[in-house]
Amino acid sequence: MVRKRQPSTQMRVLLEAMSAQRQQWRHGYDLMKETGLLSGTLYPLLMRMTDQGLVEAEWHEPAQPGRPARHAYRLTAAGFALALGLAQGRGDLPSDGAFA
Amino acid sequence: MKAGVARAVMALAVCCFGESRREWARAMRAEFEAAAADGRPLLFALGCLAAAWRELLTREEGRFVLTSYALALGLMLPMAALQIGCAVLGLPYLYAGQNGLRGALLDGGTQELLLRGVYQAAVPSLSVLLLLVGVGHLRIAWAMLERDWSRVTRMGSLSLAAAATLILFMAALFLDGSQALLQAMILAIELATVSVVARWHAQLFPPRAEEPAR
Repeated sequence: MVRKRQPSTQMRVLLEAMSAQRQQWRHGYDLMKETGLLSGTLYPLLMRMTDQGLVEAEWHEPAQPGRPARHAYRLTAAGFALALGLAQGRGDLPSDGAFA
Repeated sequence: MKAGVARAVMALAVCCFGESRREWARAMRAEFEAAAADGRPLLFALGCLAAAWRELLTREEGRFVLTSYALALGLMLPMAALQIGCAVLGLPYLYAGQNGLRGALLDGGTQELLLRGVYQAAVPSLSVLLLLVGVGHLRIAWAMLERDWSRVTRMGSLSLAAAATLILFMAALFLDGSQALLQAMILAIELATVSVVARWHAQLFPPRAEEPAR
């Protein structure tokens, strides 16, 4: 039997924030400020959600010259479906989910 | 000062991420600039360091990195220090008279009766051999952390050859070679452990078809 895991509170907060502007690419620091998650929580979450195909990431050119390129994130269709499911009171992680 | 500490912590965090998370480490490094501009670089950097350590413990690649460092810092560097210390300061087993290298080379010392002629001339060569084995440990440790396995093999063979030569010459000079033999055995165990680490590395990161195996 496949074991289904419920997403953690932090993941729910992140999914909610990212699904509010689904098409928009978001930077890590902006997500930290919006969700209140610390970098030590946010980045492991983003890494695992990307591994699971819930989040996609790409590099964006810097807005100001001389600054480094920034990594930006947004929900994939699967991530958005999970966020919608959670908002409606249902939603399980993929079976390889390993969230605390 | 605080910015400098934050940068150092961030650099440490970036180094702690394994090869498969390099891009994420770069992403955090870029975002660190935004946190610094916002006046919160240290908190951000500490969080990244915590994330890196969590990754180290939860992924096999991380455990591989930790094992490599534990082997280098826990076994190879102490062995290198011991052997370089023996060669430079002279621990009792290598030089008679217990006065170290300088004492062994002095004319008129208490050991002179024993050290005449050939033995006295051999002392510098013995200490150079011991020094080579000690430096060999350092270079093997360095090459292992860089995952340069061909250099590890080369340095390991040279160190073993130097250790064997040292033992043979000590035996020829009727010196007690038991300590040198013990250290050579530790070197052999060390090299066997490194070969296990190399095999683990090959399993974790199999060489690509177009990339010749190092």
